[in-house]
Amino acid sequence: MLTAQLLYALTGCLIMALGLRTALLHASLLRRVVAINVMGTGVFMILLAIAYRGPELAPDPVPHALVLTGIVVAVSATALALALARRLNAEHADE
Amino acid sequence: MSDTLIWLVAIPLAGALTTLLLPRIADAVVMAAGLATAIAAGTLLYGVGTQGAMIYEIGGWSAGLGIALRADGLSALLLMMIALVMLPASVYSRTYFSKAAERARFWPLWLLLWTALNALLLSGDLFNLYVTLELLGLGAVALAALGGGRAAVEAALRYLLVGLLGSMMFLAGVSLIYAGYGTLDMTALARIVEPGPVAGTALAMMTAGLLLKSALFPLHFWLPPAHGSAPAPVSAVLSALVVKAAFYLVLRLWLEVFADAVTPAAANLLGVLGAGAVLWGSWRALRAERLKLLAAYSTVAQLGYLFLFFPLLQALPPGPARELAVGGLVLLALTHGFAKAGLFLAIGIVQHHSGHDTIRELDGTAQRLPATTFAMALGGVALIGLPPSGAFLGKWQLLAGAVATGQWLWAAVTLIGSLLAAAYIFRVLGHAFGHQAYPNRAVTVASEEWPALLLTTMAAVVLGLAGAPVWRLLENGL
Amino acid sequence: MNPVSLQLFDVLLLLSIVGLAWASLASPDDRRSVILFMALGLLLALAWGRLLAPDVALAEAAIGAGLSGALLLAALREQPRREAPGATEAVAKRGSSRLQAMTQWVVTLLCAGLAGILGWVLMHIFAGTPLDRLTQAVSANLGVSGVSNPVTAVLLNFRGYDTLLELAVLLTAVLGILALGPGRAGYQPAGPIFDALARSLAPLLILVSAYLLWVGAHAPGGAFQAGATLAAAGVVLRLAGRQRIGLPPEGALRLVMTAGVGLFLAVGLSLLLMGRPFLGYPPAWAGALILVIESAAMLSIAATLVLAFIGGRLPAHGIPAAEPATTRREAITTAAAPERGGEEESGC
Repeated sequence: MLTAQLLYALTGCLIMALGLRTALLHASLLRRVVAINVMGTGVFMILLAIAYRGPELAPDPVPHALVLTGIVVAVSATALALALARRLNAEHADE
Repeated sequence: MSDTLIWLVAIPLAGALTTLLLPRIADAVVMAAGLATAIAAGTLLYGVGTQGAMIYEIGGWSAGLGIALRADGLSALLLMMIALVMLPASVYSRTYFSKAAERARFWPLWLLLWTALNALLLSGDLFNLYVTLELLGLGAVALAALGGGRAAVEAALRYLLVGLLGSMMFLAGVSLIYAGYGTLDMTALARIVEPGPVAGTALAMMTAGLLLKSALFPLHFWLPPAHGSAPAPVSAVLSALVVKAAFYLVLRLWLEVFADAVTPAAANLLGVLGAGAVLWGSWRALRAERLKLLAAYSTVAQLGYLFLFFPLLQALPPGPARELAVGGLVLLALTHGFAKAGLFLAIGIVQHHSGHDTIRELDGTAQRLPATTFAMALGGVALIGLPPSGAFLGKWQLLAGAVATGQWLWAAVTLIGSLLAAAYIFRVLGHAFGHQAYPNRAVTVASEEWPALLLTTMAAVVLGLAGAPVWRLLENGL
Repeated sequence: MNPVSLQLFDVLLLLSIVGLAWASLASPDDRRSVILFMALGLLLALAWGRLLAPDVALAEAAIGAGLSGALLLAALREQPRREAPGATEAVAKRGSSRLQAMTQWVVTLLCAGLAGILGWVLMHIFAGTPLDRLTQAVSANLGVSGVSNPVTAVLLNFRGYDTLLELAVLLTAVLGILALGPGRAGYQPAGPIFDALARSLAPLLILVSAYLLWVGAHAPGGAFQAGATLAAAGVVLRLAGRQRIGLPPEGALRLVMTAGVGLFLAVGLSLLLMGRPFLGYPPAWAGALILVIESAAMLSIAATLVLAFIGGRLPAHGIPAAEPATTRREAITTAAAPERGGEEESGC
């Protein structure tokens, strides 16, 4: 068992849990968006740890592609969430 | 013939791009794309009925390295339902969004949503499912926010955040599966998955994410505000199709991919949550002040019925009884899709003509909008589960299965739920009849009203009378 | 690097990452949180590089840290500044503080439990026989895929359908954003230092993006990284006070936005109509087709990400967008002559 692989995978789990906790508990919308991004990062770390096969062998490219896709999806969702928040602020200001 | 699978995704996607590039002919493009997709769905249904399940390997790469699309009886039926709901809803949207500028913003998102639904139902790859789930979620949120106004935007934002949480959980489950089994193809996984901690945890993560997206009690809190403040055609599609897609995935994962890893305890948990959904959703619907909220809570309840099937299916051994139960489940899902869509469209018409959808002030709607009220009544028949609706057959199977396996609790819940449904439907209809004279014309505005009528008739009558083919089609799949 | 020092590096890096993540999530101030998040993104890029995932590292730096950070900072700009000491653990539900504390504890325990279970399962998997998973299949087919970078091969060939849908996801998000209303007001014209920096950065970023696109076929890089870098050029110019930053007018802009998905779909359908499977590139043409698709995708990605940063519909050419008074700084430029940074759109 590669220690690096396990180390990164476990850290990924930890980060995912941290993100989840803040996403559920914190009230600020911006913080929740950051927390969901951090949660995503945790999952990406797990995937990349799965892909790592040690310093000698080339890593598994499929999880790399999956994480790339995931990063783009995450930024799309972040952009939409922030735009909705902005519109909400504008609605509040008009009241 | 198996090309149909990719055309079902390509046509609405191409349509979306065309409406974006050529907004002036967008109305015509949407109708054309819609009809073409419906024809493709019909072709697929015919193909699956005659030849059995179909697979399409994209790029020619074998499933595993590449992504495979699959269709069997279940997905073909749901794809047909999607097409038959989206078409009338599209016609309705043309009248609903009166300004061309509004429609220009609406159509691309609408067709992208259709693309997402089709892509999700056809996908045979777990990560591809994640991408389609995200496409579906973002599209639904964007459409829900089109209503403008603080309530809609706030509800849409909550929907988005909840959806993202769900997607992340789903992705975590997918990562575990890839780590443990080295493939993402669902057909291959169905063969190699064994009961154990890997499969169990992965299934739990994925299910948790999907339960958030299908609004199963107690994770339903985001649904009533979102469906209640979205524009009418969007609410129709959200309740009828989008939450159904998430449920379909739970069904697929539990009955096929992870069939060996599912435990009776887990199935019972889903059943308990479903029972909670039925009772809580029906109760809140009964207490609802607005028609749209009533319909939204009704969706929560109806989805509960679908989840009640899980403990039954777990307890029934493979055989004719189990197949009957699965058929009932599918019929119930199909009926609810049509009924809820039609109901939301009808509510939209009421809101448009009366300026509000408060139930207590519906006085005289039956006289002013007879066709619309009739559509609502038909939808109500299907939601309660009265014959000859498809829901009657579905609930009958639910009761039969519950009695046969000795799980009386689910039977009791179904009966109470149906009673509550009858209560809230009749409450609405009661308020709708006022003291005015009856009109001479049945239909007020044809282009607005016939889509709603068509959908609810499908639910209340057609699916019940013509329900037998459903069982035949499902023989190939689950 | 010998194994011991590599492990030490790993431990230090992971501790920093977890520390930054926690600091960002627990910070009392939203602004601080966002900045820490951006720093986290850069450390993550380092971690991805360490895990031999340079493609992902590039994308994380450009998109995860860079563009997400820019989006969050732009959103921060519109919030009234609030120093709320003790707002760290603000709970969404109202109720007695005892209920709040209990909810916090329950959620924390559940999340810890989740992390524990996931970690345990992963340990269980890694302790078993090392699996090759899909590495064999990829390397066996890499020769006919048209590119020699395995990640690009997976993204654009083997699992191209995923990429097609992902481009659709990006498009959907931006359409949703555009439907919500006009974009953010621009920034005031930059002072001489920042202006000079922007002037030299923008062409550099454009060149780098073109290089990333080209090199993605045989080395780390590709359409996403290139598109993000190009978008970064747009963001930098916008921050320096330019209004239209060379984005084409309405009709052409729609064309650019849809070009990625459109071309991808068109190539797939053409192949289908020619009798091949959907997106089944003939091996002789695969490299060229992938490059064409990636070029269109790069332009689309750049345009959509910049539009996402602007946050809505662009004002008509030359007229600054009006903005409700919620913005902290009145940043409406007066009569900014439309800047023709036209080189952006010529891509490679």
